[in-house]
Parts: sequence; structure tokens; C-alpha cells
Amino acid sequence: MRHSREHALSEDRSKDPNDQQRGDGLSRRSFLSRGAAAAVTLPSMAAFLEACSKKDTTGGTVGTGPAPTATFSVASPENPVKWPIFDDNKPIASGLTPEQNATLNVYTYVDYFDKGAIKSFEKKYQKYNVKVTLTTFEDTTEAIGKIRTGGVQADIYNPSYDQIGKMVTAKLVQPINHDYIPNIANVWPTYTNPFYDQEWQYTTPYVLYGTGIAWRADLVSEDIAAMSNPYDIFWNAKYEKKMSVLDDYRTCMGMVLLRNNLSVNTYKAEDLDLVHKQLSLLNQTTKPKVNVTDYTDVPTKIVSICQAWAGDAVNMVSYMPQGQSPDVLRYWSPTGNENMTDNDLLVLLKESKAPVMAHLLLNHMLDYEVSIGTFSFTGYQPPQNKITPEELVSSQFIPKNLASAVVLQKDWESGQHLLELPPDVDSQWQAVWQQFKAGA
Amino acid sequence: MTATLQPPAEVAPARTGLPFVRWFKNPWRKPRILEAITWIYLAWSLLPVAIAVLFSFNAGKSRSVWQGFSFRWYWQDPDRSVWHDADLHAALVHTLLLGVLTTIIAVPLGVAFALGLDRWRGRLPQFWNIQMLLSFVVPEIILGVSLYFVASQLPVNTPLQAGTWGQVIGLVTFQMSYPVIIVRARLLTIGKQYEEAATDLGASSIGALRRVLIPMLLPAIFASSVLVFADVIDDFVIVRYLSSGADTESVAVKIYNTARGAPTPALNALASLLLVASFGAIVIGYLGYRFLTRGEGESSLGSFAGQL
Amino acid sequence: MSVGSQRSRWIWPGFALPGVLWLAFLFLIPLYVVLCLAFGTLDPIFRSPVPEWNPLQWDTTQVAFVFSHIFGDDGIFGPAIVRTVVFVLLASAGCLLISYPVAYFVCRFGGRRKGLLLALLIAPFWISYMMRMLAWVNLLQTDGWVNKALSAGGIFPVHVSWLDGRPSTVIMGLTYGYVPYMILPLYAGLDRIEPSLIEAARDLGGSRWSTFRQVTLPMSKPAVIAGLLLVTLPMVGDYFTNDLLSGSPSTSMYGNLINNAILVPAQVGQGATFLIIMFIVLLIPMIYYVRATARAEGDTV
Repeated sequence: MRHSREHALSEDRSKDPNDQQRGDGLSRRSFLSRGAAAAVTLPSMAAFLEACSKKDTTGGTVGTGPAPTATFSVASPENPVKWPIFDDNKPIASGLTPEQNATLNVYTYVDYFDKGAIKSFEKKYQKYNVKVTLTTFEDTTEAIGKIRTGGVQADIYNPSYDQIGKMVTAKLVQPINHDYIPNIANVWPTYTNPFYDQEWQYTTPYVLYGTGIAWRADLVSEDIAAMSNPYDIFWNAKYEKKMSVLDDYRTCMGMVLLRNNLSVNTYKAEDLDLVHKQLSLLNQTTKPKVNVTDYTDVPTKIVSICQAWAGDAVNMVSYMPQGQSPDVLRYWSPTGNENMTDNDLLVLLKESKAPVMAHLLLNHMLDYEVSIGTFSFTGYQPPQNKITPEELVSSQFIPKNLASAVVLQKDWESGQHLLELPPDVDSQWQAVWQQFKAGA
Repeated sequence: MTATLQPPAEVAPARTGLPFVRWFKNPWRKPRILEAITWIYLAWSLLPVAIAVLFSFNAGKSRSVWQGFSFRWYWQDPDRSVWHDADLHAALVHTLLLGVLTTIIAVPLGVAFALGLDRWRGRLPQFWNIQMLLSFVVPEIILGVSLYFVASQLPVNTPLQAGTWGQVIGLVTFQMSYPVIIVRARLLTIGKQYEEAATDLGASSIGALRRVLIPMLLPAIFASSVLVFADVIDDFVIVRYLSSGADTESVAVKIYNTARGAPTPALNALASLLLVASFGAIVIGYLGYRFLTRGEGESSLGSFAGQL
Repeated sequence: MSVGSQRSRWIWPGFALPGVLWLAFLFLIPLYVVLCLAFGTLDPIFRSPVPEWNPLQWDTTQVAFVFSHIFGDDGIFGPAIVRTVVFVLLASAGCLLISYPVAYFVCRFGGRRKGLLLALLIAPFWISYMMRMLAWVNLLQTDGWVNKALSAGGIFPVHVSWLDGRPSTVIMGLTYGYVPYMILPLYAGLDRIEPSLIEAARDLGGSRWSTFRQVTLPMSKPAVIAGLLLVTLPMVGDYFTNDLLSGSPSTSMYGNLINNAILVPAQVGQGATFLIIMFIVLLIPMIYYVRATARAEGDTV
């Protein structure tokens, strides 16, 4: 299964009749010409190459690619990955002086980075005259595209962990020098050796998000949490045009998979076909909005039920119109292996012009006070040791009716994670999503 | 001409039927229905914007419940007002910058293009005239996306890379046709005689152009500058596709990005400021146009509007 | 003079040259890049587009994918296309129904208030499209002013969620957004009709309606067509009105197909294909407009 680099390069491709075969959209010639040969040393990419060289004729029912292959291995709790450090992409040296007059650009979601954290950082390093700007994206696929093409020049990026493999391989990220980041001691110890980046060589944790359903008890008669399959509510025609799902293909399609007790990282064409059918049905019966503004749409009654990240539910409290009580808000998320809990990361981009300062910002974001600011600004919970659920409710940071939105360390450890998908599988996911978004 | 349509006093309307029917059958009645449609349309078209402007002065966070008058969202709020939120005022500055840069490039380019097309004989200029008109009428998304594709295929640090210059180049491409069309129309009304008189008196082509034609074209050049500027600061599609990040987002892009979330009235304030800039440009344009065309007897709002 | 004319033969093409180069490099070549992406391939790791610059090696996979998924069992793009046609037709008709009477009234009966009326008609032209949509987003909220107005001050509580993804809201938004682009050419067209013609018709005993039908309407036909083109062409590619006023896939339009596809690297080729289809379909009306404009320029010489 593991091709060596030499083996991959020594294959005589020119005689291979499949070379011109581009029906599956995978031209190995272009693959090699993109200088990605180094990727072959990675187990996952090697498996991927093997997937390329096999001419799979079974054909998927969805999309144009070949049927997904199960031999692709990605970082997962069962298969933690330690990414390589390349000779031409090493961490910066220790003990460097921060750059003068640097402008750090953080590439992140809209409303996802506390401006208070920026102000305190700029103040802390005032003598270096540092400035921090934010550039925002709607989804990470778009973001990674812009980073690759140079469309956006940023120092720090806010990926989910399913992108790390690609980014390391393409050398879009640079490894971190731990000496600059003593604040790592503040977060759950699991993050100094997470499955997606053993020994945290490239990433620091940002915030956690469970995914569930939020609704208004005054507009929804069912107790969704008590339903035998709470996700069925999204297909209940009674709430036509009264709901929204998250505009993120993995999260939304993951919800459909969870509804059917399937893996949220499925490679199986039949699973994707099922997702496709149920999403089409969703478009026909309840016509949900697809967005990430549920945190304001529920308080303002634009929708009554939504798929929501836990942080959205917490945020809804502050978006309730004046004079209306947040007591009507409810949030449910599954437990154990049926829950989908992930965390976002901060990474340092290779192109950063002020890497020392950028390290300092990564460290700053892990500070307890700063994290509390991040929590109250984004509604998403940083994995700080000092933040415990009991304390959050007792300090009235979160109302009792939304206590279910607090993410516990055991949720993260027992839940399913949205893992990186092999590119061909990912394309098939994207194709299902495209279809859903086209309103078909 | 409207005076001639006034009812002659001696024409008596038919005296049969209900008053309404009588009124309706009167061929010289005032067009009340049309008038009503017009005013309803104007209310429908302008009131929403007026309300949005009004709410930029709201003292509270709501964009639909009035909580008192204040300048909170303009400068009083220390964090989220347009003045204090770096993102918002940067958007305004960037928008105006795009307007100025695009106008500076597109207008001279367009004026020269118009002069060239007007005098250059043969089939080739016809071809380019059609290209120019095509770039005028092509849906912006086609131009915007194709330039976005070009930008994403180019290596880093080329001028068309997404960013301020990419946006300016894209906008110039889309806007250049304005000055061309306006200047050509003006050239047609001026005719050839002035220039010919100048050359007969011994001026060179360039001399005649500089001393006679350009001064006569000034109103058209001026009007097209204003139009390009006002159009660019409202542009959305090209600016969005060619923006490289928060620092190259215009006001329109900011509105698009945040209107779907939970914007504060600061967004209304930002939009209102842009509105002021737009109308400022138009008023200056109108006054300047009137000044430049004084003595020509057609300096009405209508002829300025006709330049559209 | 002869030396001058020798030189001046090259002066005018010289004047046009920068504009010519600009259009060639920034209008025509980008259109070629769109073709190269539509007929290009995909990078296997990132699933990002790899353009094929040589037309002889163009790969039709992505174009074929799009065409095979428009109608039929796999017709994932069909509904959005049908929706676009319906929305655009309704909104264009709405624009015409609103702007004709308004332009007609201002032109014929504006009287002393004509200047004011014209200024008011032009005003929305200079208000950013996004601001005008933002205004409606505010008004159409569940606790917004539209519901308040409909409930007549709270007597009959109305809680319509206008923004929950209804086609009517999108069509209204499109009409609202593009109407100013039709009123102005219509006004200009009506203004060009000699008032004496209409007076003559009335003097000959024509009623107001028959004068309108037999004189004004036929004479304003070119302006009507120009106005329709000016609103229809951009509406076809509009995705932002839908995004702001609906946000539901159940109202996705052609512009949304384009905008969604080009932001997903693996679908850039499809996005390029959508763009080409749109360009080809709209080429006929565009050429019509261009020819009409060019002819109008020629006529006045």
C-alpha cells in the first residue's frame, strides 16, 4: 500500500494507456508536474496515488469520480498522524526579536475573532507597532483556494482539522516553534498531542463546537430532545420554511448521516446517495434556508428550528430582541458516539511576513483572559482548563436552558469528528452538496 | 407642450352617468391614475432607503425598533461605530479610493478611445466599437468571474492579482465604455466644422484637437467622470470577486457579507455615508455640467440625465 | 496639409490603441481563460482547476457533466435554470408594468415638476444596489415595518416571515432592484417622440387611449426593448438579491449556480461552463442591443 517516492516516480507512465484517460479527472501527469511528488512519502497520499493508478470501473452513483476507495487513511482518533517537517519548511528559530511595524492578517470566519483580543494584543506589543487585520471567508474550501492562489495573503488561518493534511503537504502552513507558545499549558492536555497533529507541530486549538438542533419552545410544539430521532424534525412539513441548516457541506451532510446512524466520514457511494435523496426531500418538503446566521435568525423568528453549532445556541441569547426572554430557546445535541464534536485550529501560514509576531499572537489567543473574551464574542468555547461547565452556568455565562450547549472534554473524546476525506471522495460529497444548494 | 394639453374651456364633458364615469370619459381629464402610480412608485422606491438612513441614527441596536436619535453608529460608539470600527471606515476609504483610481484611468483611456474610434476609418475600428459596446452591455458577473479566473491563474504579485489594483483594472474594463459612449455622442453633436476651421487656419490635427475640440468636449468628459465615479463606488460584483481580503472590501461587499448576519445600525450608517458620497458627486457633477455648458441653452437636468 | 494628413492617418488609431489593447487583454483574453478552465482538468490533490491552454487538447469532461445534468433524472441544474427564467420574466414584466406608466407620466405630464420628478427617478440609480437590498432586509424582518404596516398598527397581528425563502420576495427584490435601469431609457425614448405628433393625433379626434396605442406605443418600442434588455441581462446573473432576501436553495437561481461553483475549486470548471452557456444564450440579445446602439450612432451623422 505504501508507495515509496522512487517507486511512484519510476512507473513508466508514458506507456500507460491510462495516462490520457482523464475521465475521472485525475491526470497523474499534472499531478507530478504540480511538484507534489513529495506527498508520496505520506501514507495517506501514497494510498491516494494507489487509488489513482487503479482504474476503478465500478463507478459511483454520485458525481463524476471513481467509486471511493477504502484504502485511503486519514488522521483519526484510531489513526493519529504525525506530520513530517520538510527541510524547506522548518519552524523559525527560538529567541528571535518580533518584527517591527508588522501587520498580521488573520483569515477567519465572519464574527469569529474577538476584536478585544486584537486590541489587547496590539497594546501588549505596542513597542513593536504591530497591527492586526481580519479577512473573512464564508467556508474553508473557498478560503483554502484563495490561500493557494495568493488571492488572500494572511499570516494566521483558521482551518478545521480536516484540512491539515493538504496544507502540510502543499507547504501552505509552517511548523510552530513551541518556545513562543507557553500558554499551551492553559488548554486541555489532549491538545498537546491531538490525533490530527501529533505533538502539535502545526496547530494550536481555537474553539470547540458540538453540532445539534436549536429551536424556540414558543413556536415548536414538539419536544425535539425527546423525539426518538430528533433529526426527523427537519423533514416535518409542518415547519416548512421555518428552519435552516448550516451552510457547511460536511456539517449538514453529517447531520443527515447521523440521522441514519451512518458514519459522518463515509466513503460509500450508497451512503452519499441516501444523503442526496434525503436532502432533495428536504428541499421539497421543508425548504430550509442554508446559512450560518441561525444565531440571529432564531431570536428574530425568521426561523423556528435550526441546525446549530453549540456556540450559535449560546450566541442566540444576546441576539434576542429587547424585552424578549431567552427562556424560549432550546438546544439538543446527541451524546456519546452519535455526537459530532470538533474544534477549530489556528495555524501559521508559510507566507507570513512576520512569523515571530504571528507566534506571539497564537500564544496570546491561548491566554485565559483572552479566551474568555473569545468565548463571549463568538459564543464558542475554547478548551481552557479553567473553563468548566458548572462554572459557566453558575456564573450565568450560559442560561440553564442552554446548559446542553456546553461542550465537555468527554464529548470531544467520545464523539465523531469530521475527518479529512480523500480528494475523490471529497469531490463526491461536494457534488451532493452542489445539487442540494442548486435547489434540485 | 403640456400647456397645449390643458382642457379647452368650451369643451363640456358628456353629462351622463355617474360622476366617476363622467370623469373617466372626459378626454381632457388630468391623468390622475398615472400620477398616482408615479407617486406610489416613488414612495416604494425611495422610502425603504429613507427608513434605512433613518435607522442609522437609531440609539439602540435594532434596525426596526426606533429607540431615539443619536450619532452612536457614526462616531459615538467607541467600538462599533463607523468611525471607530477600523473595518468599517477602511471599507469606506477603500471604496472612495477605487472610485478615484478607476476614474483617473478609465476616463482618459475612454476619451482617447472615443476620439480614435471616431476618426479611424475602416473595418477594424468597427470591430473594436462592437467590443466596446459589448463590454458595456455584458452582465457584470461574466466580466467579474472571468477576471477572477485570470487573477487566480496568474502567479502572485502580478498587477491583476486580486487586490486593489486587480479591482481597479477590472472596474476600468467595465467602466471604460461610459466615457467612450458619452464622448462619441458629443462628438456627433459638435460635428466636424470647428476642427476643420481650425486646421484651415493652419493648426495641426493635434493643435486643433487641443485648442478646439478638447475644450468643447469638456462637459462630456466631466459628466462621464462623475458617472464613472458614482458607478464605481456602488459596484459590487467585480469588487467582490477581485477582493483579496478585508482590506480590499468595499462598502457594498461589507453590506453583502454582514446583511445576512446580525448587523448593527453601523452598517446603515456606513451605507448612508456612501449615499452621501454618491449624491455629492452627482450634485457636483450637475452643477459643473451646467457651468461648462452655460450658454448652450440645453443645460437642464434632462440633458445631464440624457448622458446616462 | 499633406504631411499632416500622412501623419494624422496614424494619429487616430494611435489614440484608440490603448483602449484596444485594454479590451483585448482584459475583456477578450479573460473570456478565453474561461474556456480553458471549462475545458481543463483537475489537480488530483486539491481538486483545483488546471486550465488547458491548448484548444487541441481540450477536455470535455466538465462541460459534458454540466450538460448531462441539466435535465432528466440527473437534472440537478434544471430546476435552478427554470426558476431563473420564471423569476427573470416575472421581474422584467414587473419592471415594465411599473416603469412605462411612470416614465410616460413624467414625460407627458411632468409639467413644472418635471425636474423634481426626474431627479427622484434618477435617485435610486445612484444608491448602491446593496444598500437598497439592505433597506428591504430591514423592512421585511418579522418584526419589521412591512409587517407593522400590514397589521395596521397592531390591530391584526401579522407575522409573515418574508425572508424565509419565498419566491415572491425574490421577484419583488429583483423588480425593485432593476426598475430604475428601465425607467431612464424609457423616459429618454418617450421624450424623443415629437409632441406635435401626439397633438396631431388628438386633434384628429383620437381618444387618449387610441392615441397612445397607435402613436406612442409603437414609437416607444425601441426604448421598451432597450429597457427590457438592460434589466434582463444583469438579472440573469444576479445571485446577491437571492442571497440577501432568501438564502434558501429552493429559490436558487442561475447566478447562484455560478457563484457557488466557482468558489469550490473542484467545480470551477463547471462554473466556467455555466458562464459560457450564459454568454452564448445572452449573446443574441447583447448583439441586438449593440447593433441598435451602433445604428443609432450612425443615423445621427
